[in-house]
Amino acid sequence: MKKTVLVIFGIIFIISCSSSGNNETPNDLPNNNGNNNSANQEWLIPINEVKDGGPGKDGIASIDSPKFEAAEFQTHLQNDDLVVGVIHNGEAKAYPHAILDWHEIVNDETVTINYCPLTGSAFGWKNIVNGSSSTFGVSGLLYNTNLILYDRKTDSNWSQMLLQCVNGNLIGDSPEIVSVIETNWLTWKSMYPFSSVLSRESGSFDLEHYDRYPYGNYLENHNFFLFNVTPLNSTLPHKQRVFAIINNNMAKVYQFSDFEGGNAIVDSFNGKNYLVVGNENIINAFELTDDISHLCYEYCFDYTETFFKDNEGNNWSIFGKATSGSREGQNLITPKSLVSFWFAIAAFYPGPYIYSE
Amino acid sequence: MFKRVLFCFCFFSLISLSNAQTCCSGGIPLSNNIGLAPIEKGTLQLGIHYDYNNLNTLNFGTEKLDDNSRLRITHSILLNANYDITKRISIEGLFTWVSQRRKISQFDNTNLEQSSGIGDAVLLLKYHFSNTFGQNSNLNIGIGTKIPLGSTTETNSQGIILNADLQPGSNVWDLVFWTLMSKNFNFRPSFSVWSQLTYRNTGTNKEYLENSSYKFGNEFQAYLGFTDQFLIFNALTNPAVSFKYRHAEKDKISGFDFDNTGGNWISVIPDFSIYFKPNIIFSTQVEIPLYSNVDGIQLTPTYRLTTGLLFRILPKKNILDIK
Repeated sequence: MKKTVLVIFGIIFIISCSSSGNNETPNDLPNNNGNNNSANQEWLIPINEVKDGGPGKDGIASIDSPKFEAAEFQTHLQNDDLVVGVIHNGEAKAYPHAILDWHEIVNDETVTINYCPLTGSAFGWKNIVNGSSSTFGVSGLLYNTNLILYDRKTDSNWSQMLLQCVNGNLIGDSPEIVSVIETNWLTWKSMYPFSSVLSRESGSFDLEHYDRYPYGNYLENHNFFLFNVTPLNSTLPHKQRVFAIINNNMAKVYQFSDFEGGNAIVDSFNGKNYLVVGNENIINAFELTDDISHLCYEYCFDYTETFFKDNEGNNWSIFGKATSGSREGQNLITPKSLVSFWFAIAAFYPGPYIYSE
Repeated sequence: MFKRVLFCFCFFSLISLSNAQTCCSGGIPLSNNIGLAPIEKGTLQLGIHYDYNNLNTLNFGTEKLDDNSRLRITHSILLNANYDITKRISIEGLFTWVSQRRKISQFDNTNLEQSSGIGDAVLLLKYHFSNTFGQNSNLNIGIGTKIPLGSTTETNSQGIILNADLQPGSNVWDLVFWTLMSKNFNFRPSFSVWSQLTYRNTGTNKEYLENSSYKFGNEFQAYLGFTDQFLIFNALTNPAVSFKYRHAEKDKISGFDFDNTGGNWISVIPDFSIYFKPNIIFSTQVEIPLYSNVDGIQLTPTYRLTTGLLFRILPKKNILDIK
């Protein structure tokens, strides 16, 4: 009896150990490109400030086969819900925060939309890595509590808010940016009623799952950080959403409260002149190049695509495209800009200027 | 022959464990494995157990999500030592070696993070009351501390410090409160009903990731178990079944609730023990979840296997004590 028990449990025990794949090491495990990033230990950012976020690499799953639905048929979004909007190849698409909070990255046809829920920052990057297409994934690492992406072609790590590859074979490279805006659903669908919207069916969760916010009261509690931020600037409430222009590692910040009811301002920053237009729900900025710097601009959003106009009689969209007038079809140059929480701008671009009237 | 089988089993077990480059976990099973019942003054009990905790079930609250891409495993080797100082007072130590792994299989890609090393320990001082609940009943109470022997600065292959959940240690002293109650009945003296309660009041690691703080949630565990004794093929055996309730509060990071931690769990634990000799007991048990209600979205235990040996070294009887 005793021998039988020993043998049976010995077998079970050995099976249980072997079923855990215990002979694997990280270096033995395959990834889809054959690269091993552990061989490349050089980082452009202090490695002691790179944090393991907890879920692990791809523990937050990107959406790689996004599904879309027409704006008029979607039923989940409320007017105040935030979306990231993009117009690419003439097609308007919206990516709801409610989905991005859970997946952070959407690898669309030619653009990767990436969003960090902890810094509230969204970007559109072209799916081009080292000259050919690649998808991006969530590395599971954070720098200054901000998303670090990795590309699946070379396994290099990319800091979202630094807009730079910070580790790996492509260290030092910059992504090619596609202009995105962040606003609420009402504003977006008013401007682009024929937009398509990222469907909840794109993700791996039940549809109702996306009604939940994954980080508790993170948005409301200005002092609640999951990971340390350096430097932490308290000039504005830490989690206040702001718009920022980035120029040579410097930033100028615009508060939505300065655009209540709509505003179009001409401002200068770091040797360049900018037109900044917006209202309490949306802001965008454009470089005032010589051919347009003499014009006067006026906010005129009437819940159509036209967002502002000039004294030449041209109407312009929020993306800076002339929708009518003598300059119809002309596109204004957009600087590097983003909407994010104040603390993140101040951490990545220390000592930011704050616009005041 | 018996000794040879036993030796082979232990040998292969240790070989397997030493090769186990494992990674992540749902924590080191400290609270699960303390609380050896006292025998008599001068008795030394030594236990060596292996614990395998598999977390491959992703829950949102009570809802099981259709996603098994995340696997966390904890392998632990647990060494118990209990000494009955007097008839009523005993002291127990639990020492651990732990190997944790976090494996994620997504997009035809597998990623593994792992750590291993000496884990935290528990020291427990216990007091024994007899017949508190009538004849053939026992009550034991204990108070102790978790000693932070384990490392909290393990890094991955790139030199990045792993998060708290993947560290062998916690870098904090916890307070541990423990009780064990049992009662045998006249209608069948070998049948025993027992209950164990454990509460762990956790400390705060103020050096987490160098400049943050981290506190694992306080934890409460309650067991209700039933044990009997049978002679099977000339071997004394103790089949048992117990039910476990576990409640863990949310962890705190820098003083704030850390969402997607904590919850409530109920599981059933069939257990089988066999006396190889009067003083050597082999036991194995499997913990099967019956109910999991986690805060937010979490990996939750899929199953746990614990097996090992308990050696009892009884005091030598003084000839004068023998009537």
